[in-house]
Amino acid sequence: MHMNSFKWFVFAAAFVLCFLSCKQHHDEYHGVMDKIEAEGKQYHGVSVSSEDYLQGIEMIEITEGDHTFLIPERKSHIKSFKCTECHTKPLKELQKGLYKKAHWDIELDHANSNTMNCITCHDANNMDALRSLTGNNIDFNRSYNLCNQCHTKQFEDWKGGAHGKRIGGWAPPRAAMTCVNCHNPHKPHFESRWPARYNTQKVKERE
Amino acid sequence: MSSKSKKWFSLNLGKKDKHSENGCGCGKTSGGCGSHDLTIGEETKKDGFDQVFDVKMSRRTAFKQLTASLAIGAGAISTSCSMISGDETKEQAQIDWEEQFKGNYKLMTDEEKKATVDRLVRSYQLRTGKTLNMSSKNAEPDVLFGYAFNISKCQGYMDCVTACVEENNQDRNSQMQYIRIHEMKDGKGFNFNEADDNYYHEVPAEGHFYMGTQCFHCDNPPCVEVCPVQATWREDDGLVVVDYDWCVGCRYCMAACPYDGRRFNWSKPEVPEAEVNKNQHYLGNRMRKKGVMEKCTFCVQRSRAGKNPACVEACPTGARIFGNLLDPNSTIRWVLENKKVFRLKEDLGTEPKFWYFMD
Amino acid sequence: MRRLKVFRSLVKDSLDTITHGSRKYHLWMALLTFIMLVGMYCYSIQLEQGLSATGMTDRVSWGLYISNFTFLVGVAAAAVMLVMPTYVLKDVDFKQAVLIGEGLAVAALIMCLAFVVADMGGPSVLWHMIPGIGVFNFPNSMLTWDVLVLNGYLFINITIPFYILFKHYQGKEAKSNVYVPGAFLSVFWAVGIHLVTAFLYQGLQARPFWNNALLGPRFLASAFAAGPALIILVLAIIRTFTAFKIEDKTIKKIAMVVTVAAQINLIMLVSELFKEFYAPTHHSESAYYLFFGLHGKDALLPWIWTAIPLNVLATVLLTFHKLRNNFKVLFFACFILFVAIWIEKGFGLIVPGFIPGPYGKIAEYTPTLIEIGVTLGIWALGAFVFTILAKTAIGIEIGKLRYKN
Repeated sequence: MHMNSFKWFVFAAAFVLCFLSCKQHHDEYHGVMDKIEAEGKQYHGVSVSSEDYLQGIEMIEITEGDHTFLIPERKSHIKSFKCTECHTKPLKELQKGLYKKAHWDIELDHANSNTMNCITCHDANNMDALRSLTGNNIDFNRSYNLCNQCHTKQFEDWKGGAHGKRIGGWAPPRAAMTCVNCHNPHKPHFESRWPARYNTQKVKERE
Repeated sequence: MSSKSKKWFSLNLGKKDKHSENGCGCGKTSGGCGSHDLTIGEETKKDGFDQVFDVKMSRRTAFKQLTASLAIGAGAISTSCSMISGDETKEQAQIDWEEQFKGNYKLMTDEEKKATVDRLVRSYQLRTGKTLNMSSKNAEPDVLFGYAFNISKCQGYMDCVTACVEENNQDRNSQMQYIRIHEMKDGKGFNFNEADDNYYHEVPAEGHFYMGTQCFHCDNPPCVEVCPVQATWREDDGLVVVDYDWCVGCRYCMAACPYDGRRFNWSKPEVPEAEVNKNQHYLGNRMRKKGVMEKCTFCVQRSRAGKNPACVEACPTGARIFGNLLDPNSTIRWVLENKKVFRLKEDLGTEPKFWYFMD
Repeated sequence: MRRLKVFRSLVKDSLDTITHGSRKYHLWMALLTFIMLVGMYCYSIQLEQGLSATGMTDRVSWGLYISNFTFLVGVAAAAVMLVMPTYVLKDVDFKQAVLIGEGLAVAALIMCLAFVVADMGGPSVLWHMIPGIGVFNFPNSMLTWDVLVLNGYLFINITIPFYILFKHYQGKEAKSNVYVPGAFLSVFWAVGIHLVTAFLYQGLQARPFWNNALLGPRFLASAFAAGPALIILVLAIIRTFTAFKIEDKTIKKIAMVVTVAAQINLIMLVSELFKEFYAPTHHSESAYYLFFGLHGKDALLPWIWTAIPLNVLATVLLTFHKLRNNFKVLFFACFILFVAIWIEKGFGLIVPGFIPGPYGKIAEYTPTLIEIGVTLGIWALGAFVFTILAKTAIGIEIGKLRYKN
């Protein structure tokens, strides 16, 4: 009889232990996506800001579609802007070879020659601005409008934030590099090069 | 010993006053009064053992006084022998002592967090003469960090790896790195078995694409579950962090991580003094010791200050996107909602907060 | 007061017994001490350099220490196979063996704890793991369960034999209603320690090689084969060198236990192999690595292909009554079974769990001399502890040690 009650006690204890040991997840969401959606609804903003990290960089605010964000001002970074300070005469005359050669180092490596040449983007008559395919002026500060004529998909991604690079930090305000900050418009692809490092320990480890 | 009489640089510990009230009655201002710096039983901070039990002082005091009395014996000898370095040695000894018996950072109050950070800064200063900037900033409400990686953009330059190593003061001898870039063959899918994560040739290589892995800061992290001492946990902003001083080095978390996100200090980690990143966070890139676990923290010292992690900042191709998942207007949210994203080993139920996508 | 006096006398007598013995005994103890000292020296190097003194890396982050730990938990748990028949089912044949079995369990547990400590990166902060003054991640971490059950089992296995011996020392009969509940509890507990240890690995979704439901049961089967096999060998040695009477019947009964467990273990092994190799998936790579090598990496092949034939041979030998009842064959079979399971459940289980790594990388593991030194030292420690316990226990049981008023 005594043995029996003891047996029961052991079983009961084991049962209780098993029950207690069940991992307790207090998460009321199915997955992290559900959680993000639900908790995002009560988003009140954050106290950190990346404004400090943007100091010293001149930015302009742009609004494209639903997206409003900052991009770096461009004109002041172009060497010898305004262009018309040199380009005082029409291009045709300059090309006659009477003047010192300029921009000789620029090699256009962007699409093929059927698609693009200098004046696809530059305005032969107004060097201080860019020119859209239909002949409208595009400000150098908003050169992305030139790129997005062909690169529509990249433009969509850039506006949303899937393409391109943030400046400052993740915290608002959102500031992003514009196309020409990463891509040389005359040669937009990334060069191949050697990786930044090689891990010799890993090699040893896997011998 | 009053704080005024100290010759060394004094941090505003906020607790100093209490300390001096309880201070030395022997009247000496410095040097000889060796025992007092070591009788930390008089310390009124509440951490270590106390925080677990919420026992005010008794246990800790008793334990400390018991052991302190032993230390005093040794201390008395050492102080009588070296009068020159006396004060600083004693202060270092006290800091070491308090650090050895402090509690788990996860359970500390903000004051306790600040106190330990101040001790660590002071200790570094005593050892090297250099000043650190160490933060104990907590997670901010309404923030949940997430990361997206654009497979079509990564070119395999590994600039992120270098930036990460430098930012996070990783051991140079063992060439520890949190990030791995896998070079994969086109047409083989995501076949990690045939991928090379230690290539050294001009990149991007013909017919290959690149995929980076690091700690994915799972929302349901298996590493946290298995830790026997809660030395690793998930912060409110989603970062999975390690208290290097609480870790016992059992490496159970390492076995539990399906993503190879964790690194162990098999020997004493070393970083040349000139290369030490002095902008630190307790849970982030502060110096580690041998025998403890460490891992990517999404650069907590940067991300909690609103910056992007070092890898994101260093990436020349914009393949890395970081942001606040709870902000409906954040770029990371746009990526999740508009791109075809996926995660690695989703079937394991770990809910990583690290998504991959393609253009 | 009287009890304290008896205890003091017991300790004194015990010290007297363990410091006196034959030349062979002294040689044996000296050898163990020497190995322990070597182990301690190796450990001091490991403490100084960190765990980089071992062969472990970020890729294979558990090695020889945890392998031995896993195996020894099984040896400790196996004592229950003797405890249950003796105390609970009242089978007298086991009675002589059971104290030895429990002594073995205590020694195995001490070795387990030593292996865990040796494996720690920060032994100086181990107090973080002590419930109460540290932070104990219970019930989430299986490691905390393991800490609890191992120490609990150690406590049970020290107290029960101690009570019985303490009574016998005074020439009294031990009261069964005092120790039977404890023995009963230890039966559950033994299954518990080994299941919990299996769950330690089984619960990791990151490691498909371990994350299978058969791991727990297989741990038990292999433990109940290897543990009693070791007990048989120890009993054989004790029978030869001491006056302690152990009947053939007892050894034969334990051999039966070993046989059944070894058979079940083999069935489970076949089941596991079938699953891994009949319909191999991505998750079978570890098994492929273990049995056939992967991408030219085959460090474990000699080990596993030693273990499997030994295991099969031992099981076959044990299965035939005629062979099993021949003690020479039995001892041989027990020895090879012990070795086979040590390989299979130690190295053969822990190391392939990490290979290939989460991203398919293969970094092999070879223990360093330092690691082997520490391991041998801990085994010597276990043997040392067991010898002391057994010598005292035998002294009391054969009536040489008695309390004198």
